[in-house]
Amino acid sequence: MTRHLPTIALGALLALAALSIVFSVRPGPEPTLSERAGALARELRCPDCQGLSVADSPTSSAREIRRQIDELLATGGSDQAVRNHFVARYGDWILLAPRSPLPWLVPLAFVIAGIAGMVAWLAGRTRPPPAASPLTAEERRGLREEAEALDA
Amino acid sequence: MIPTIGHASIVIGLGLTTYAVVAFVLAAGGRDERLAASGRRAVIGSFVAALVGCVAMVISLLTHDFSVLYVAENNATTTPAFISAISLWAALEGSILFWTLLATGWASVVLHRHRARHRLLMPWVGATLACVNLFFFAVMTWAGNPFALTAPVGAEGIGPNALLQNHPFMALHPPLLYLGYTGMAVPFAFGVAALVTKRLDEEWLRIVRRWTLVPWIFLTLGIIAGAWWSYEVLGWGGYWAWDPVENAALLPWLTATAFVHSAMVAERRGGLRIWASALVIATFTLTLVGTFLTRSGVVISVHSFTQSAIGPWFLGAILLALTLSLGLLVWRLPGLIGGGRPSGLLSRESAFLLNNVLFLGLTFAVLFGTLLPLLVTATSGDTISVGAPWFNTVNAPIFVALLFLMGIGPALPWGQASWATLRDRFAVPSILGAVVVAAGLALGLRSAAVLVTLGIAVLVGAIMIGEVIRGASARARGRDEDALTATWRLATRNRRRYGGYTVHVGVLVMAIAVAISSGLATDATVTIGPGETARIGAYEIRHERLVVEPLAADARVIETRAELTYTGPQTGSLRTALRDYPNSPTAIATPAVRTSFGEDLYVTLLASDPSTQAVTLHLFVNPLVVWIWIGGVIVGIGSTFAIWPERRRVAVAAAQPQRAPSVSPVEGA
Amino acid sequence: MRHLRWLLIPLVVLPLGLLLLSGFGRDPREIASPILGRPAPEWSLTTLDGKALGTDALAGRPYVVNFWASWCIPACVDEHPVLAAAHERYGDEVTIVGVLYQDDPGAAESFLARYGNAGYAHAVDERGALAIDYGVTGPPETFFVDADGIVRAKQFGPLTDALLADRMASILNVAER
Repeated sequence: MTRHLPTIALGALLALAALSIVFSVRPGPEPTLSERAGALARELRCPDCQGLSVADSPTSSAREIRRQIDELLATGGSDQAVRNHFVARYGDWILLAPRSPLPWLVPLAFVIAGIAGMVAWLAGRTRPPPAASPLTAEERRGLREEAEALDA
Repeated sequence: MIPTIGHASIVIGLGLTTYAVVAFVLAAGGRDERLAASGRRAVIGSFVAALVGCVAMVISLLTHDFSVLYVAENNATTTPAFISAISLWAALEGSILFWTLLATGWASVVLHRHRARHRLLMPWVGATLACVNLFFFAVMTWAGNPFALTAPVGAEGIGPNALLQNHPFMALHPPLLYLGYTGMAVPFAFGVAALVTKRLDEEWLRIVRRWTLVPWIFLTLGIIAGAWWSYEVLGWGGYWAWDPVENAALLPWLTATAFVHSAMVAERRGGLRIWASALVIATFTLTLVGTFLTRSGVVISVHSFTQSAIGPWFLGAILLALTLSLGLLVWRLPGLIGGGRPSGLLSRESAFLLNNVLFLGLTFAVLFGTLLPLLVTATSGDTISVGAPWFNTVNAPIFVALLFLMGIGPALPWGQASWATLRDRFAVPSILGAVVVAAGLALGLRSAAVLVTLGIAVLVGAIMIGEVIRGASARARGRDEDALTATWRLATRNRRRYGGYTVHVGVLVMAIAVAISSGLATDATVTIGPGETARIGAYEIRHERLVVEPLAADARVIETRAELTYTGPQTGSLRTALRDYPNSPTAIATPAVRTSFGEDLYVTLLASDPSTQAVTLHLFVNPLVVWIWIGGVIVGIGSTFAIWPERRRVAVAAAQPQRAPSVSPVEGA
Repeated sequence: MRHLRWLLIPLVVLPLGLLLLSGFGRDPREIASPILGRPAPEWSLTTLDGKALGTDALAGRPYVVNFWASWCIPACVDEHPVLAAAHERYGDEVTIVGVLYQDDPGAAESFLARYGNAGYAHAVDERGALAIDYGVTGPPETFFVDADGIVRAKQFGPLTDALLADRMASILNVAER
């Protein structure tokens, strides 16, 4: 039983990680108007600030935009309608994150390409295992790990 | 008189630095010791020149000498002395002067310290550093003269930027950052010298270890200080907004951290040498790119107070430095290829390689996000924004992967690891991580980001503790010491490793604090009249009174102040205000923060109504924020411990075979 | 083939250099305005004199909307005489309207008293809703609307005589047709 414990532990960890992701992605209860307003305020840029969102900004233009968000939502507008309302006035600039999916994918592609390249390079260059010696593999490993523990 | 001295000292500095470049290049070519020595003296002379310049500027500021344009724009007769003094780095021209002081300082110390050693490398190191300093002196002479005069001389100045006056912390944050930025020229210079002289082995890396870590410590502390300032002073409730000026500091930090790790491998195993050289070039270039972005007016930033003519100069310097150093790298590439080969997919070398890939990915992502608006406008004419939502979403997975690697990597052996070893080392930590995630889910936590970060943090922490225990118990058994002595002796005899562990612990603490403070923060915007209360979390805030009056320290500033009392996990009174500075259109918010180890109560004044005395407040409860700063301090302690010189030891028998001849630890390492 | 690696240098330096170079000469705060070529927003506000003013009164003639503030120094001070001259010269055909941007009416009055009042009306945009409808990010910004109510031109930043003449031409041609 104890021999398999580490594998079980690893499996449990992975399962729990997956579970937590499922939990957070699963649609929760319907967001309230004020929650929707808050989320939209965090997406919109304050026009006369330096990159702050409308939610974080103390300026009067931010205050007016928040008021307009509340009004649009109260009259039954959808989240997208609110975004379109402000994009019609300021252009895509008013959105703090780009609409097009391309900018989101470029860094991801970069990292994946990097990892793929790394794996390919490693697979092509790993040394073959050393020739047979009087010590068994098990003993050698144990010795090496003892030395590692004292490694400076 | 004083401005003339200041201006003269800059021109003298320019001359001395030019001489130093020529002297060092000639000394390198002809192996002339005396030329090198004179070059060194010239560099020290340029430091003195820069010092005189700074002193002259500070005197001009303290005496409110409005004949100097810089003083007229950044100082007023009502400015307090302390603020006047730190206005040296308040705006562009002064901050370049300050930068030059630090850069010449680093160059002087390095060149003096190694004056009797590494005779092949040092002239090229001197030449490179002198070139860098030459650029800054040239910028001050021709593009942004700090001692430019005004005519006619006004009776009053515009005064310092409002944000500068609001908090004494501005005395600390820029110097820390600048020490970091300027210090990164030193490893760069050694990297260039190594490439030029074809001394591509680990010699320069050994020398450069401390010369990289010291500026790295300053850069780290400077970035964290900036985040702290953003949180405590700016009033928007957060500590990192991915503003270009923040990214400008983060970019060289990312490549510098990757370089520090690569240097470890290159020094000990001979691998990752191309990475090491490339990363040190990238770090230096990024320090220039960062300054360019925030000072050239090319992107909007919290820091773009002035746009100026230095933009083209910096762009030219960036392209020139990049072309020359990349050229060197490409030229010497054949000599760099074929270092140590990793012997297995699952080994510490591979972990370091993955580390570099991930750090490079982060660097690319941050640079891409910062420059994308510029790219879009240049190609299509449209304007877009790339703000915090994009950066957070794109970078979070990479940070989490790095966190995971930070725990796994040091526990992997050099060379191929066996599955059995991994299972045994990572079993208990995995169980603990799983338990924490389960507990989180049971307590109602639903944010994947928070849960995954917590789980990994516990996993990493447990692995680290396991490593320390394993090492200490091996030592205790072998030398018959008790656990505590064994651990302490082990740590002080292996400062690099245990300093590194401490730094990683600090990073862990910060990661947990960031995940929880951003994932579990609550906020609310309320409007209350005098005597009324508002609730946030477990707190009740009561509005006592609204006061409008000029500041005691500077009568030109009108403060609108809400005085409140609060009860809850913390109890007391607080004041939050909006200050109207005469030279700023929008009022500057002064938030009130009440910090405890568990959470911060954060209150900021958004608006007030003088007729009803009502105030609109933005209330936050931010859990665990103080641990971000504590984590930063731990990182600082750990890295200082790692570079602290060890006592000279008599050579001990056996130990491991070292690739380099044994050099006493105090000497160039 | 061995020398292929030298391509790395132009591959890195050129795109970076061109990209950063492209930023010069442009004000990064100027955004591409989606309102150009579209109908101007409708509004109805009170002027500094206390009278009502709105797009219904302005309809049928080209008009110019200039967002400014008393604290916007030196830009709004610099363009003030330019607008005064425009009112003199084009006043018969084009209505010029000033709109206060996040400003206090008292401070605006002092500004006009100090720098001169050209005589055209200034509307008080109390909540800032009109500035948002026009997509204004900071004063001064000026919009040129033709007789059909379409926004034809925008000036980001202070006007000069030359810039004003150029923008005016876009709305005057329509009137002359």
